[in-house]
Amino acid sequence: MKIKNILGNTVLWAFLLIFGLVTLVPVVITILGSFKTNVELTTGATFLPSKWHFSNYSEAWRIANFSTYTMNSLIVALSAVVGTLLVSSMAAYVVDRMDFIGKKIYVSMQAFTMFVAVGAVVLRPQFDLMVKLNLHSSLWGVILILISAHASIFFILVSFMKGIPKDLDEAAKIDGSSLGRTFWRIILPLLGPGLGVGALFTFRGAWNEYLLPLVFTMTKPELQTLTVGLANLKYGISAASQTHYMMAGACLSILPILVAYIFANKSFMQMTAGSLKG
Amino acid sequence: MNNKTKNAAFAYSYLFPSAFLTLVLGIYPIAWAFRYMFYNYKGYGTARFIGLDNFTRILQDIQFWDSVVNTFVYAGGKLLLSIPLSLLLAAILNRGLKGKHLLRAVFFMPTVISTAVMAVVFFTIFNSYNGILNQFLIKFNITSSGIDWLGPKHAMLTVILVAVWGAVGNYMLLFLAGLQNIPEDVYESSALDGANKVQQFRYITLPMLGPVMQMVIMLAIITALKGYESIMVLTEGGPAGKTEVMFLYLYKLFFPLGGGSATQVQEFGYGSAVAFVSALIVGMISLLYFYASKRMNRID
Repeated sequence: MKIKNILGNTVLWAFLLIFGLVTLVPVVITILGSFKTNVELTTGATFLPSKWHFSNYSEAWRIANFSTYTMNSLIVALSAVVGTLLVSSMAAYVVDRMDFIGKKIYVSMQAFTMFVAVGAVVLRPQFDLMVKLNLHSSLWGVILILISAHASIFFILVSFMKGIPKDLDEAAKIDGSSLGRTFWRIILPLLGPGLGVGALFTFRGAWNEYLLPLVFTMTKPELQTLTVGLANLKYGISAASQTHYMMAGACLSILPILVAYIFANKSFMQMTAGSLKG
Repeated sequence: MNNKTKNAAFAYSYLFPSAFLTLVLGIYPIAWAFRYMFYNYKGYGTARFIGLDNFTRILQDIQFWDSVVNTFVYAGGKLLLSIPLSLLLAAILNRGLKGKHLLRAVFFMPTVISTAVMAVVFFTIFNSYNGILNQFLIKFNITSSGIDWLGPKHAMLTVILVAVWGAVGNYMLLFLAGLQNIPEDVYESSALDGANKVQQFRYITLPMLGPVMQMVIMLAIITALKGYESIMVLTEGGPAGKTEVMFLYLYKLFFPLGGGSATQVQEFGYGSAVAFVSALIVGMISLLYFYASKRMNRID
């Protein structure tokens, strides 16, 4: 019985470790590869770099335009976070605390946009619309579209809003606080944890978004984000000689989100598990 | 202004940014597609109403139906690998194991990284010529020449493996959340009755996980059927359309790729019809699964 247990445990741990390795290896390869030369990456079959080329990063940053891409990604992701939180927390407040005609329609509309999958077709009218509004020559078009897809954050904030006692609203009202003042001064600060989770998820989505910025910046390299710039390296004429830039660029995209994940992995996971109940 | 109208005005003004953005950038594009699927419209010139012609064209579009078949292969492969694997991982991690928090965080890690960025990385790994994987296979004499991972024979498998890598952690976590809702004393009393771990898994865990399982599989089906971002970066649907899935085909009708097979042109009207049919296929399969799994639950 005891031998059987030890055997079982060994198999179990071997399985877990192998799968853990398979999960980690592509990311480790990227990080280590970002310090190798192109030749070592494409023919070397080495694990650790034979010599650490930190210059890959400075070259990718300057020559391969990754300074621009990083800046654009930051602008897009941060603006999307601020916009999404603002728009959805205001809506969540009135939907949870007030009654008005059309509330049901509004909520079903948000649910509808979450569940209907029509693919790339929506990008076309979105793009044409932004051309008409002259918002296609900056990143504002991309940012606005990202903010418009806030249904899931809205529903999360509503569920957090329900956790804030309504007595507070009543007390504020008796003290003569207007609805707007109550929201900004009392409710919003108490919504902190919900806003934090929402910010994390909006940032992840916007930072990792590929198709939307791709379509909007096809002919405008100066507006491309990290994901778009990086994938374009693959298609370029000199792609075969730029594998080391690809790896350095991939690291620039992966590392910020990975660092956030290392510090806040509980929040990331809480959100996914929470969607099960919601 | 009395209190009631004042409150209503406040409510609508706070709702406005959200409702306006959703209507203009979420609902209007869908309505746009609904209109143009009855039109011949290539993005320039005038759009001409052609009734149901786009739909009869779909019926004869072999490329589209090939992509539907590819979608089923891709989605089926992804599901068959990722669901059992994630369930197994969740079941193991649910038993108080040393280091389970670390393992859980490691397994979930792929879900926070960009699909497109990882597709670029996987391209350098699986690349048939100078790919990192082939370098090692040759170095350790496992194969004499490299395996053509992105070639016609293996491309679909490679694309599926990449998708599984990105998905397992997510489903594992959902399963884990479901498993934690199963009360511990059910296991204890069954252990007293002499049930072993495998029996417990078969007769307690699986049935009690039913509703969660149903939801996770449903989610997995929809995600697998509509996914194409990673395939687009990894293979562009190639070689020779071997990994062209439904939603990638659709994407190319609106934004033709500049790659080798630049025979495609913009087809906004026809593309809208394809989008409608594709969405219908996804919807019908989800519904089918929903009713089938409901019936299975009842028989149990």
